[in-house]
Amino acid sequence: MAYTIDARGLACPQPVILTKKALETNDDLIVLVDDTAARENVKRLATNMGFVVEEEHQGSETRIRINKVSACTHAQGAITGQGPVVVVIASDTMGRGEDVLGGVLMKSFLHTLTQAGAMPDTMILFNTGVKLAVKGSEVLDDLESLANAGVNILACGTCLNYFSLKENLAVGVVSNMYDISQTMLGAGRIVQI
Amino acid sequence: MSRVFRRVLLFESVSAVLVAEKVLKDRGIPYKLIPVPKHLSSDCGVCIRVNVEDLRSTEEILTGKVKVLSTHELSET
Repeated sequence: MAYTIDARGLACPQPVILTKKALETNDDLIVLVDDTAARENVKRLATNMGFVVEEEHQGSETRIRINKVSACTHAQGAITGQGPVVVVIASDTMGRGEDVLGGVLMKSFLHTLTQAGAMPDTMILFNTGVKLAVKGSEVLDDLESLANAGVNILACGTCLNYFSLKENLAVGVVSNMYDISQTMLGAGRIVQI
Repeated sequence: MSRVFRRVLLFESVSAVLVAEKVLKDRGIPYKLIPVPKHLSSDCGVCIRVNVEDLRSTEEILTGKVKVLSTHELSET
Protein backbone atom coordinates (compact mmCIF):
# COMPACT_ATOMS: atom_id res chain seq x y z
CA MET A 1 0.00 0.00 0.00
CA ALA A 2 1.54 3.28 -1.08
CA TYR A 3 1.96 6.04 1.44
CA THR A 4 0.35 9.29 0.24
CA ILE A 5 1.57 12.84 0.77
CA ASP A 6 -0.83 15.65 0.00
CA ALA A 7 1.46 18.51 -0.95
CA ARG A 8 -1.21 20.52 -2.75
CA GLY A 9 -1.12 24.19 -1.89
CA LEU A 10 2.26 23.93 -0.18
CA ALA A 11 5.01 26.37 -1.12
CA CYS A 12 8.41 25.24 -2.34
CA PRO A 13 10.48 23.64 -0.83
CA GLN A 14 7.86 22.04 1.48
CA PRO A 15 6.79 19.35 -1.03
CA VAL A 16 10.43 18.37 -1.54
CA ILE A 17 11.14 18.24 2.18
CA LEU A 18 8.08 16.09 2.85
CA THR A 19 8.94 13.75 -0.02
CA LYS A 20 12.53 13.38 1.06
CA LYS A 21 11.49 12.61 4.61
CA ALA A 22 8.89 10.07 3.52
CA LEU A 23 11.35 8.31 1.21
CA GLU A 24 13.56 7.56 4.18
CA THR A 25 10.95 5.16 5.53
CA ASN A 26 8.82 4.30 2.48
CA ASP A 27 9.60 2.45 -0.72
CA ASP A 28 6.32 3.22 -2.36
CA LEU A 29 5.00 6.76 -2.29
CA ILE A 30 2.34 8.90 -3.90
CA VAL A 31 2.78 12.68 -3.85
CA LEU A 32 -0.06 14.99 -4.85
CA VAL A 33 1.04 18.41 -6.11
CA ASP A 34 -0.67 21.29 -7.86
CA ASP A 35 2.32 23.43 -8.72
CA THR A 36 4.72 23.04 -11.65
CA ALA A 37 7.87 23.88 -9.69
CA ALA A 38 6.88 21.51 -6.89
CA ARG A 39 6.16 18.75 -9.42
CA GLU A 40 9.49 19.11 -11.18
CA ASN A 41 11.47 19.38 -7.95
CA VAL A 42 9.82 16.33 -6.39
CA LYS A 43 10.39 14.30 -9.56
CA ARG A 44 13.99 15.37 -9.76
CA LEU A 45 14.65 14.56 -6.11
CA ALA A 46 13.21 11.07 -6.50
CA THR A 47 15.05 10.41 -9.77
CA ASN A 48 18.33 11.58 -8.30
CA MET A 49 17.80 9.33 -5.32
CA GLY A 50 17.51 6.38 -7.68
CA PHE A 51 13.75 5.90 -7.52
CA VAL A 52 11.44 5.17 -10.43
CA VAL A 53 9.00 8.01 -11.02
CA GLU A 54 5.65 7.94 -12.78
CA GLU A 55 3.17 10.78 -13.04
CA GLU A 56 -0.48 11.13 -13.75
CA HIS A 57 -2.15 14.47 -14.48
CA GLN A 58 -5.63 15.30 -13.28
CA GLY A 59 -6.50 18.84 -14.27
CA SER A 60 -4.04 21.18 -12.57
CA GLU A 61 -3.03 18.45 -10.15
CA THR A 62 -0.37 15.83 -10.58
CA ARG A 63 -0.15 12.48 -8.85
CA ILE A 64 3.47 11.40 -8.65
CA ARG A 65 4.14 7.73 -7.93
CA ILE A 66 7.60 7.02 -6.57
CA ASN A 67 8.92 3.46 -6.32
CA LYS A 68 12.11 2.05 -5.04
CA VAL A 69 13.67 -0.36 -7.48
CA SER A 70 17.37 -0.32 -6.91
CA ALA A 71 18.41 1.67 -3.90
CA CYS A 72 22.08 0.95 -4.31
CA THR A 73 22.71 2.95 -7.47
CA HIS A 74 22.71 6.23 -5.58
CA ALA A 75 25.69 7.62 -3.71
CA GLN A 76 27.99 4.91 -4.99
CA GLY A 77 29.96 7.56 -6.80
CA ALA A 78 30.93 9.31 -3.62
CA ILE A 79 32.41 6.10 -2.30
CA THR A 80 34.21 4.92 -5.40
CA GLY A 81 35.27 8.40 -6.56
CA GLN A 82 33.89 7.58 -9.99
CA GLY A 83 30.65 9.49 -9.75
CA PRO A 84 29.61 12.43 -11.89
CA VAL A 85 31.85 15.43 -12.43
CA VAL A 86 30.16 18.55 -11.10
CA VAL A 87 31.22 22.09 -11.92
CA VAL A 88 30.09 24.62 -9.35
CA ILE A 89 29.83 28.25 -10.44
CA ALA A 90 29.21 30.50 -7.48
CA SER A 91 29.58 33.85 -9.20
CA ASP A 92 29.23 35.49 -12.59
CA THR A 93 32.91 36.32 -12.45
CA MET A 94 35.89 33.98 -12.24
CA GLY A 95 38.13 34.63 -9.30
CA ARG A 96 38.00 37.52 -6.87
CA GLY A 97 39.55 40.94 -6.96
CA GLU A 98 38.66 42.52 -10.26
CA ASP A 99 35.17 42.00 -11.61
CA VAL A 100 35.81 43.23 -15.15
CA LEU A 101 38.68 40.80 -15.50
CA GLY A 102 36.61 38.11 -13.75
CA GLY A 103 33.88 38.57 -16.36
CA VAL A 104 36.38 38.09 -19.18
CA LEU A 105 37.77 34.97 -17.52
CA MET A 106 34.31 33.48 -17.00
CA LYS A 107 33.40 33.97 -20.68
CA SER A 108 36.69 32.42 -21.64
CA PHE A 109 36.28 29.50 -19.26
CA LEU A 110 32.76 28.59 -20.36
CA HIS A 111 33.66 28.82 -24.03
CA THR A 112 36.63 26.54 -23.45
CA LEU A 113 34.37 23.95 -21.81
CA THR A 114 32.36 23.70 -25.02
CA GLN A 115 35.51 23.13 -27.03
CA ALA A 116 37.26 20.73 -24.67
CA GLY A 117 36.92 16.99 -24.93
CA ALA A 118 35.83 16.42 -21.34
CA MET A 119 32.57 17.94 -20.22
CA PRO A 120 31.07 17.93 -16.75
CA ASP A 121 27.97 15.87 -16.03
CA THR A 122 26.34 18.65 -14.09
CA MET A 123 26.87 22.38 -13.63
CA ILE A 124 25.45 24.12 -10.60
CA LEU A 125 24.95 27.88 -10.73
CA PHE A 126 24.27 29.85 -7.60
CA ASN A 127 24.52 33.35 -6.16
CA THR A 128 25.40 35.72 -9.05
CA GLY A 129 26.35 32.61 -11.07
CA VAL A 130 22.67 32.27 -12.06
CA LYS A 131 22.97 35.51 -14.05
CA LEU A 132 25.03 33.56 -16.60
CA ALA A 133 21.98 31.49 -17.57
CA VAL A 134 19.36 34.21 -18.02
CA LYS A 135 18.19 36.09 -21.10
CA GLY A 136 20.77 38.60 -22.31
CA SER A 137 23.73 36.71 -20.82
CA GLU A 138 26.76 36.79 -23.08
CA VAL A 139 27.56 33.16 -22.37
CA LEU A 140 24.09 31.83 -23.11
CA ASP A 141 25.23 30.21 -26.36
CA ASP A 142 28.01 28.37 -24.56
CA LEU A 143 25.68 27.14 -21.82
CA GLU A 144 23.18 26.06 -24.49
CA SER A 145 25.88 24.07 -26.29
CA LEU A 146 26.76 22.38 -23.01
CA ALA A 147 23.09 21.64 -22.27
CA ASN A 148 22.62 20.25 -25.79
CA ALA A 149 25.65 18.06 -25.26
CA GLY A 150 23.94 16.54 -22.25
CA VAL A 151 25.29 18.64 -19.39
CA ASN A 152 22.68 18.99 -16.67
CA ILE A 153 22.53 22.66 -15.66
CA LEU A 154 20.98 23.49 -12.29
CA ALA A 155 20.23 27.11 -11.43
CA CYS A 156 19.56 27.95 -7.79
CA GLY A 157 15.89 28.96 -7.47
CA THR A 158 16.43 31.05 -4.35
CA CYS A 159 19.08 33.04 -6.20
CA LEU A 160 16.91 33.57 -9.31
CA ASN A 161 14.14 34.70 -7.01
CA TYR A 162 16.44 37.09 -5.13
CA PHE A 163 17.52 38.77 -8.38
CA SER A 164 13.92 38.61 -9.76
CA LEU A 165 15.25 36.58 -12.70
CA LYS A 166 13.21 33.38 -12.45
CA GLU A 167 11.13 34.23 -15.52
CA ASN A 168 14.28 35.01 -17.48
CA LEU A 169 16.06 31.70 -17.06
CA ALA A 170 16.99 30.71 -20.60
CA VAL A 171 18.98 27.53 -20.09
CA GLY A 172 18.97 24.84 -17.42
CA VAL A 173 16.39 24.09 -14.77
CA VAL A 174 15.32 25.93 -11.63
CA SER A 175 16.71 23.93 -8.78
CA ASN A 176 16.66 23.95 -5.00
CA MET A 177 19.13 23.44 -2.19
CA TYR A 178 18.15 19.78 -1.81
CA ASP A 179 19.11 18.97 -5.37
CA ILE A 180 22.18 21.16 -5.15
CA SER A 181 23.50 19.66 -1.92
CA GLN A 182 22.65 16.10 -2.98
CA THR A 183 24.31 16.58 -6.36
CA MET A 184 27.43 17.89 -4.66
CA LEU A 185 27.53 15.08 -2.11
CA GLY A 186 26.92 12.46 -4.82
CA ALA A 187 29.64 13.83 -7.08
CA GLY A 188 32.77 11.89 -7.86
CA ARG A 189 34.61 15.13 -8.43
CA ILE A 190 33.67 18.77 -7.86
CA VAL A 191 35.29 21.62 -9.72
CA GLN A 192 34.56 24.90 -7.98
CA ILE A 193 35.00 28.03 -10.04
CA MET B 1 28.48 18.63 -37.31
CA SER B 2 29.21 21.23 -39.92
CA ARG B 3 32.27 23.37 -39.58
CA VAL B 4 31.81 27.10 -39.14
CA PHE B 5 34.43 29.48 -40.39
CA ARG B 6 34.90 32.71 -38.51
CA ARG B 7 37.65 35.22 -37.91
CA VAL B 8 39.46 36.06 -34.71
CA LEU B 9 41.03 39.44 -34.00
CA LEU B 10 44.03 39.60 -31.70
CA PHE B 11 44.93 42.66 -29.63
CA GLU B 12 47.96 43.66 -27.65
CA SER B 13 46.32 43.53 -24.22
CA VAL B 14 43.23 42.43 -22.34
CA SER B 15 42.36 46.12 -21.91
CA ALA B 16 42.45 46.58 -25.69
CA VAL B 17 40.11 43.60 -26.08
CA LEU B 18 37.73 45.23 -23.63
CA VAL B 19 37.78 48.50 -25.60
CA ALA B 20 37.06 46.61 -28.82
CA GLU B 21 34.32 44.61 -27.11
CA LYS B 22 32.58 47.78 -25.96
CA VAL B 23 32.76 49.35 -29.43
CA LEU B 24 31.31 46.23 -31.08
CA LYS B 25 28.61 45.91 -28.44
CA ASP B 26 27.58 49.57 -28.90
CA ARG B 27 27.44 49.12 -32.67
CA GLY B 28 25.47 45.91 -32.49
CA ILE B 29 27.99 43.77 -34.32
CA PRO B 30 27.73 40.12 -33.27
CA TYR B 31 30.96 39.04 -31.61
CA LYS B 32 32.22 36.71 -28.98
CA LEU B 33 35.06 37.05 -26.56
CA ILE B 34 36.96 33.75 -26.55
CA PRO B 35 40.36 32.48 -25.39
CA VAL B 36 43.07 32.88 -28.02
CA PRO B 37 43.08 29.56 -29.93
CA LYS B 38 45.95 27.32 -28.90
CA HIS B 39 47.46 27.17 -32.37
CA LEU B 40 47.86 30.95 -32.39
CA SER B 41 49.39 31.47 -28.98
CA SER B 42 50.24 29.61 -25.82
CA ASP B 43 49.40 32.69 -23.76
CA CYS B 44 46.32 32.68 -21.64
CA GLY B 45 44.97 35.56 -23.66
CA VAL B 46 41.55 36.48 -24.94
CA CYS B 47 40.54 37.64 -28.39
CA ILE B 48 37.41 38.56 -30.30
CA ARG B 49 35.64 36.30 -32.73
CA VAL B 50 33.40 37.70 -35.44
CA ASN B 51 31.51 36.24 -38.36
CA VAL B 52 33.35 36.30 -41.68
CA GLU B 53 30.87 38.74 -43.21
CA ASP B 54 31.37 41.20 -40.35
CA LEU B 55 35.17 41.26 -40.51
CA ARG B 56 35.49 44.27 -42.77
CA SER B 57 32.99 46.44 -40.87
CA THR B 58 34.57 45.36 -37.59
CA GLU B 59 38.00 46.47 -38.74
CA GLU B 60 36.64 49.77 -40.01
CA ILE B 61 34.78 50.51 -36.79
CA LEU B 62 37.80 49.71 -34.64
CA THR B 63 40.16 51.86 -36.69
CA GLY B 64 41.42 54.76 -34.62
CA LYS B 65 39.89 53.36 -31.44
CA VAL B 66 42.01 50.33 -30.77
CA LYS B 67 44.82 48.63 -32.61
CA VAL B 68 44.14 45.18 -34.05
CA LEU B 69 47.37 43.14 -33.99
CA SER B 70 46.26 40.49 -36.46
CA THR B 71 43.27 38.58 -37.77
CA HIS B 72 43.10 34.85 -38.32
CA GLU B 73 40.79 32.31 -39.79
CA LEU B 74 39.12 30.08 -37.27
CA SER B 75 37.32 26.87 -37.99
CA GLU B 76 35.06 25.48 -35.32
CA THR B 77 32.48 22.77 -35.16
